[in-house]
Amino acid sequence: MTKNEFLSTLAAELKRRTIADTDEIVSEYEQHFTFKMADGYSEEEIVAKLGDPVLIAAQFEPAASDPDKLRTEWMVRGAFVLVAIPVALFFLMLIVTAVTLMAFALAFGALAVILLAGINIYSLIPPMPYWNGAVFGIAAAALAVLLALGCVYYAAFIRQLGRAYGRLRHNLIASVSGAAPLPYLAIHPQFAGRTNRRLRLAALLSFVLCAISLLMGIIVAVLSTGTIEFWHAWNWFAMVMAR
Amino acid sequence: MNPQYKKGVLELCVLSLLKRRDYYGYELSEYLANHIRIAVGTVYPILRKLKNDGLLTTYLEEESGGPPRKYYSLTSSGHKQFEKDRADYLTFARTVEELLEDGHHDEK
Repeated sequence: MTKNEFLSTLAAELKRRTIADTDEIVSEYEQHFTFKMADGYSEEEIVAKLGDPVLIAAQFEPAASDPDKLRTEWMVRGAFVLVAIPVALFFLMLIVTAVTLMAFALAFGALAVILLAGINIYSLIPPMPYWNGAVFGIAAAALAVLLALGCVYYAAFIRQLGRAYGRLRHNLIASVSGAAPLPYLAIHPQFAGRTNRRLRLAALLSFVLCAISLLMGIIVAVLSTGTIEFWHAWNWFAMVMAR
Repeated sequence: MNPQYKKGVLELCVLSLLKRRDYYGYELSEYLANHIRIAVGTVYPILRKLKNDGLLTTYLEEESGGPPRKYYSLTSSGHKQFEKDRADYLTFARTVEELLEDGHHDEK
């Protein structure tokens, strides 16, 4: 290969790869020939030492169009910053719901304690015979357990959803920046098989206990008062009716 | 040797040479090709990349009896980058050396 062949191949390859300042690059190699030839080397010798012009041209390719990649990456990051507030509000809403659920569980727990212990602070609970109230108390206790279990499951769900969202964000950024993606996460809670079975069994038992004792409480109330509308027999709404 | 790996080390060598004084492209490519087994033509792409990264600047200087020479000179960020890469490389090389030496002793 002669000097001219080398330089024209190099120029053509650089143009094909749309590399900037082709002329400047070629002139630098041209100078290289000038210096070498002044030292008495032949064109072929110089070309042999320089290497393949096609491979050389490839080395002028900027490393995987870095600026473009970086721009896309920052666009994706920016998009996540923009949705950060709605996402945070969404998660806040979920957390508030979980807290409400927990409050219900605590309220039913308190009701169960009051009914089973037979204490009626400031007559907050409508009057009823103790044993009948105790049956309702068991129903309330079972409901409290069911709600607490629901709350645990729900909290685990929120946590997992948060992690899945973080993973989605990581992978979307990784996909544009070229970093290694991580496996996507499921959005439902990931309990161990044993914990999962126990939770499900406890939920089922408390639901059944709640339903049975509530039904039993109503039956006992109806039978003992002799009327379907047992609340009237106990004067639950006496104050309202007196008005 | 892995070409990507060699390229990174060559960049460091170029920065190291330019820290001593300014060179023109031909000098650098000849020097490196004489000391490390690479095709002479591969030094120019490295110079261009370093210049695009802002680590080098160029200036032309007229020489008696010849074309103007394009000199390469280290910028201040080039100096910083060199010091950082140099420290990184030396730590890395020492670790590798220790590992290789250990492996060698174990075999005996």
